Amino acid sequence: METMKRQAASQSQKLMIFVLTMALYGMATLFTELIPKFQIGIVEFSVEYFLFIPLVLGMLFDPLSAALGAATGELVFSEIMLGQFGGLGELEKFITVTIGVYLAGRMVKNPQNRKMVGIAAITGPAVQLFLGMLVDIFKVQFAVEDFEAVPGLPESVFATEGFAFLNDLLFSGILFCLLPTLYLVPKLYGKIEPLLGMQPRTEKTALGTINAKVILACLGAFVVAVCAELLATSGLSLIDWEASWAESGTAVAAGIVVAAVVAVAVLAVMKKRAEAVK
Amino acid sequence: MDKIMQKLSDNILDKLSMDFLRNQVLKNAYGNDDTFIAKLDPRVLLVWYVFFALVPWFVDQVPFLLGAFLLVAATTVMARVAGLVLLLFVVGVFSQTGYLFLVSLLFGGNAETILPLLILTLKVATVSLASVTVFSGLDPDRLSNGLMWFGCPERLSFSISYAYRMLPMLMEEFQNVLLSYRLRGNAPGSSTFAGKIRYLIYQVKVIIHAFYPLMLNTAKRSRTTVEALEIKGYRNAATSPEVKKLKLSSLKVGYDDMLFVAVSFLWMALTVFAMTIL
Repeated sequence: METMKRQAASQSQKLMIFVLTMALYGMATLFTELIPKFQIGIVEFSVEYFLFIPLVLGMLFDPLSAALGAATGELVFSEIMLGQFGGLGELEKFITVTIGVYLAGRMVKNPQNRKMVGIAAITGPAVQLFLGMLVDIFKVQFAVEDFEAVPGLPESVFATEGFAFLNDLLFSGILFCLLPTLYLVPKLYGKIEPLLGMQPRTEKTALGTINAKVILACLGAFVVAVCAELLATSGLSLIDWEASWAESGTAVAAGIVVAAVVAVAVLAVMKKRAEAVK
Repeated sequence: MDKIMQKLSDNILDKLSMDFLRNQVLKNAYGNDDTFIAKLDPRVLLVWYVFFALVPWFVDQVPFLLGAFLLVAATTVMARVAGLVLLLFVVGVFSQTGYLFLVSLLFGGNAETILPLLILTLKVATVSLASVTVFSGLDPDRLSNGLMWFGCPERLSFSISYAYRMLPMLMEEFQNVLLSYRLRGNAPGSSTFAGKIRYLIYQVKVIIHAFYPLMLNTAKRSRTTVEALEIKGYRNAATSPEVKKLKLSSLKVGYDDMLFVAVSFLWMALTVFAMTIL
């Protein structure tokens, strides 16, 4: 029982949590990918959130394993299995989901404290959605040339993205994150931990509060996500150098450098994440 | 006419049943391993994918994008991707850009707004069709071997293999739990509008409740999985270079692979050539 003094679980228990979250959340996101989204006017009632699964597990178990498991599950089940894998765009989703679930999991010290569970259950998706919204706005801004010049485009992007954020948070966030988490956490507390050979989380065994280090790490990860996204969609035009091959060797170099930087960024993040799990 | 409508709606409801979803996903994963694409070397295909996932973002010329789009469309046909995946692709592309166009009309956009959005659509479509080709054309085991060769974390390849094997079982279990909840429950009548809303709420509630037993079962199962993995020395094998070498010795680059790359290259060269002439 030495390993259970802090809730930092042993290696194999971390793997168990990872597998558990990955399988459950992956299957859930697969369904949401397949269920048609119904729209009323421009209000989209997407049932896209089964985020309560990793939220619950992150509050009961090691948050980092649960967060990584959730992000991997979504990536593998609903993106790769269905062939929806969008390259770098997925990196952004991976990182934002990880940050959201991890923060929510760290916030809860005692899962029996309902108020804290509730606050964490709404903070997690809020953080995730907000980061996603920022990235989305940047993405359109850089993918479309002369973004400001196209009539009506900037306003419509800000309006749709901001609206989608509020809509998702109020609709999916409350219905599919807050309420299920409030229902499931007390019910599972003390029952699911023995199945993985662990002790339930209490004030004493919790990992400790969120400190500046955690927030800095999250911000760093988010910057990586944004950079990858912007590099991938920045307006560098490769074809210009094709047409005027002779003059602009610098453009060639720039293109190659950007591609290399993107590749390195992806690999670095993947390596970091893998190490963090181990 | 009524009969036809009835038949049509029956047909659509049929299509949306759990079994149908399961079959489509399985078909997508294992059903087409005899196509030309599936027989290619995963490493070659991944390099090919990286090109078509990155380059379109940097290019703004319509002919080039159109050429790339035609090529990946052809490979998608060759990979015989399941219908559901293609439907999701179409819906996904439209919801990303078509929706934006409609909203920008509201803010005083005009026909000029179409061109940048057309370019954006072509980019998104090319990138996602390339990923459809690679990730659903390839056998999961070959895919994870290919990813491993490029030094992806072992955990990702493990997740992919695990996901494909466990998913049918998980889906079946989820369905069984749902059915047992329905058998025991008493669904509200759904003839009036208020009844329909109550029915929807009831359904969502059942789904969320169903995750309670599902989480406990999956926790037990993931413990078994991890323990079985430990017995086989998984954590050591994941980091040992010898095991990796043994695992990857089945990968071979053949003439087909070269041909595939050469033809793709030729096609893209032709589009660039055509563009410089025009």
